Amino acid sequence: MKKLIVLVLGLMIVGCVTTPGPESVGPASGGKATHKHGAFTKHYESSLFEVSRNGLYSVEMVLGAPGLLTGVNALDIIVHDNTDHDVVGAEISVTPWMPMMGHGTYEPPVVTEKGGGLYSVENVILVMSGLWELRVNISKDGVTDTAVFSFPDVQMDTKHAHTMVMVPDNLDLATQQMSENNKFDLSYKSGIEPLPINTIHSWTLILKKADGQPITGAEITLDGDMPQHGHGLPTVPEVTQDLGDGKYLVEGVKFSMPGWWVIKFRIRAGGEDDTATFNLLLKE
Amino acid sequence: MIKRVPSIFALLLLTMLFFSGIAQCMDLHNWTDKQKSVLKSLWLESLPHLPADPTNKYVSQPEAISFGKELFFDDRLSGNLKVSCSTCHPENMNFADNLPLAHGMGTTSRRSMPLIGMGYNTWLFWDGRKDSLWAQALGPFESSVEHGFTRTQCVSVILENYKDEYERIFGPLPAFMKRDLPPLAKPSLDEPSALKAWIILSPEKRQQITTVYANMGKAIAAFVRTIMPTPSRFDHYVEAVMADDSAGMLANLSNDEVKGLRLFIGKAKCTNCHTGPLFTNGQFHNTGVPQRQGTPPDNGRSEAIAKVLADEFNCYSQYSDAQHSDCVNLRFIDTATYKYIGAFKTPTLRNVAERAPYMHAGQIPTLRKVLEFYRDLPPGKRPADLEHGALNDMELLQLEAFLRTLSSPLKYAQ
Repeated sequence: MKKLIVLVLGLMIVGCVTTPGPESVGPASGGKATHKHGAFTKHYESSLFEVSRNGLYSVEMVLGAPGLLTGVNALDIIVHDNTDHDVVGAEISVTPWMPMMGHGTYEPPVVTEKGGGLYSVENVILVMSGLWELRVNISKDGVTDTAVFSFPDVQMDTKHAHTMVMVPDNLDLATQQMSENNKFDLSYKSGIEPLPINTIHSWTLILKKADGQPITGAEITLDGDMPQHGHGLPTVPEVTQDLGDGKYLVEGVKFSMPGWWVIKFRIRAGGEDDTATFNLLLKE
Repeated sequence: MIKRVPSIFALLLLTMLFFSGIAQCMDLHNWTDKQKSVLKSLWLESLPHLPADPTNKYVSQPEAISFGKELFFDDRLSGNLKVSCSTCHPENMNFADNLPLAHGMGTTSRRSMPLIGMGYNTWLFWDGRKDSLWAQALGPFESSVEHGFTRTQCVSVILENYKDEYERIFGPLPAFMKRDLPPLAKPSLDEPSALKAWIILSPEKRQQITTVYANMGKAIAAFVRTIMPTPSRFDHYVEAVMADDSAGMLANLSNDEVKGLRLFIGKAKCTNCHTGPLFTNGQFHNTGVPQRQGTPPDNGRSEAIAKVLADEFNCYSQYSDAQHSDCVNLRFIDTATYKYIGAFKTPTLRNVAERAPYMHAGQIPTLRKVLEFYRDLPPGKRPADLEHGALNDMELLQLEAFLRTLSSPLKYAQ
């Protein structure tokens, strides 16, 4: 009798362990044990699992290692119907939403079908930290339903931890610089000195070749940021006039607060491209 | 012998304490050159002259200013004859009411903004959807929850009550017939019946009406531009610092207030956004203030960028007095809306203590709670330009004490 029970138990255990998972599909993260959720099967140990509102689909979501952070995220989802079959060829949209703030994001995520019920979701842009929902809308053969995943505490992406950035000692504040690959010699002069805060103003640039010859007809664009804050420039300044003799007018320059700003110029002239970077230290 | 020693000792101790007290006191008032230049940048004396507004050639005309003042207080310019600009911007309340959400003929979805030093602002409203003060002044008239009025009604009021004054400033009014001014006509997408009545008017009439309307706004803006702060205790303190006047320094700020000032320009980093003599950078920031429950989602600047570019009265419009080349703010505006989701304009801190509740929908009731809100934002949740050093409760008390020293009576055209 005991042996029979042991045998039966043994067979049951062996039976459970050898149930196959969808090995050929999807990322290799997570374990392979399967678990039943009512009519649905969860395939990955460390995935998130939700059943759609009307019970028509299940969505299993697999995130990358650090989970969701602010900024651009990518993830995978596996969609099954309520007969536990892979849902292939469905129209799927994923909508990020912040219920407490009452807004979503500015660009929709991009969903690409991979086959076997697997869909990759890219360009999931979470614009700030806090409570986010990802609303997965699935539509196939006229049958539509939505599964909602809740992320109570999405954190700031600390890889770009601006707050850890310190102003370097001996910051190079020169108003004349050679470009990165020494192709160009660029200098600027601000129309208002010292550099004002919160006042839109113009700069004059002087662009020369490495040998000192002025360059006319160059294409120059600029961008900027405060490395310690990461908020970018408050306006979109432009080179609006080629004044001749290597001089260019930059209009629309504005700095919104005191501190360390970095301005980067991209220069294209005579078939050559290069960039030149300037540090500014604005006082109140 | 034994009895005398303690009393000499006590006397010595007291003397030491007294002088160290004074020394500590004076230490507080000892500013480095770098700190002095920061103080100077916040000083009212450092405010440059009011810049001219290229879009409004009437701003400095005394007749325009006094006409604008009359319009500001005239509640006939509303659907129920009870709302004027001063309803939400009362003269005796520093020109800002004390409601979380402004209320004219109905309740709006935002707090009334302060009217201090508005002539120095590039963008108007919490979301900056207007690029001039006169364009802003015109907004509330045609809003159904503010004045609940229309431009045709405004023109009728001017014809009936202000014809001479108007004409002295802006030249002759067009000859309007009664049928040219149907009361409920305005280009409003929210009120189709008013929109219909508006488009039925000839283009010529619509332009004439809108020109008078725009001029009304320009007069009001000329008045509102005159509303300016007078020197506060903080300004008198900085004056004393600049003159190396210790007695003056001690007379104007208490120890706690000076400690608060040191935090403001130091560890608390308030000057990241609250810079300059008006204590604002005029920029848009999402500081993580939660939405007010029960109001529609408010995305702030991100939705206002398109609005200001499309605005009927912006710098490039036919009603603006500016040359196209003057319109630099629109020309170089940042259109990357994703950076500005939920972002609102930094308000001035002048007279901030008089202006509870705080934030764009009055979400935070007291100054103390505002400071706690900023302090308690977890590091993972606050954007980098809101970073600050650790602040304890005593330091918040000192910051609040300092903020209260920014109050002073306002001056404006009489």
